[in-house]
Amino acid sequence: MSTAALDLESSQWLRDLNANDAERNEAIERLHALLLRVARAEAARRRASTSQVRTEEIDDLCTQAASDALMAVLAKLDTYRGAARFTTWACKFAIFETSSRLRRQAWRDRNVEPDESIWNRLADTKPHALRQIENEQLVSALHRAIDEHLTERQRLVFRSAALDEVPIDVLAERHGTSRGAIYKMLHDARGKLRRALIDAGYGDHLP
Amino acid sequence: MTNFDLEKLLGAAGADPGCDAAGELMDAYCEAIANGGPVAPQFDEFVRHMRNCTACREDTEGLLAILQQQKESDER
Repeated sequence: MSTAALDLESSQWLRDLNANDAERNEAIERLHALLLRVARAEAARRRASTSQVRTEEIDDLCTQAASDALMAVLAKLDTYRGAARFTTWACKFAIFETSSRLRRQAWRDRNVEPDESIWNRLADTKPHALRQIENEQLVSALHRAIDEHLTERQRLVFRSAALDEVPIDVLAERHGTSRGAIYKMLHDARGKLRRALIDAGYGDHLP
Repeated sequence: MTNFDLEKLLGAAGADPGCDAAGELMDAYCEAIANGGPVAPQFDEFVRHMRNCTACREDTEGLLAILQQQKESDER
């Protein structure tokens, strides 16, 4: 998309960021200030889920997130197509960098280990007896499908992400890979389990 | 186990573009929502990914919150 098809403000951002040194540097400073504001706003929004992270750590984290987001925006500037305003596109990087760091920081002292007690919690104890039996059978079938149909790595990712609700950013960091790669593994595992449950006669129970 | 539990475990049925492709659409989706317009069919798979991926859903909520703050600031 040419800059002519963009809104005026987005066009101006692109012109400034592609201008000569002085104008470019001034635009980079403005962009960094914007990304830092977004990082701090996102950290404030997520404060309830990151209460164990110290305030000064959060400020450092926001500064790092804004710097990395700035680098990402500048590196990907040529890929901006104008599907949204430039500032919205750029803010997305600040949100991603901030939230990934906050999740990882919140889990830094926690182990990612399969929790076997999850199987007892999954079987709902409230429904009447017949429903209770169906539930227990479905949980058993799911447990069996995990053991029989998933690779070791898929099993680890599925159990951590889907059963124990470990954030996929945390899994990505601990396995030295990307969020997208972990999600792909989770997605493939879910597909295998869905097919196994259908084959086992539980198709009507699946969402 | 409720349908809600099962969807959390197995995800919603149907095509899911994954985190990277969904990330490409996130800004346009958030602007469409923030502007109060209808959500185009091009976002169907994005929305399904949001149901399936907690991290991307939280990021989308974050970007929407920023757009909302900007809108309120512009209106003042």
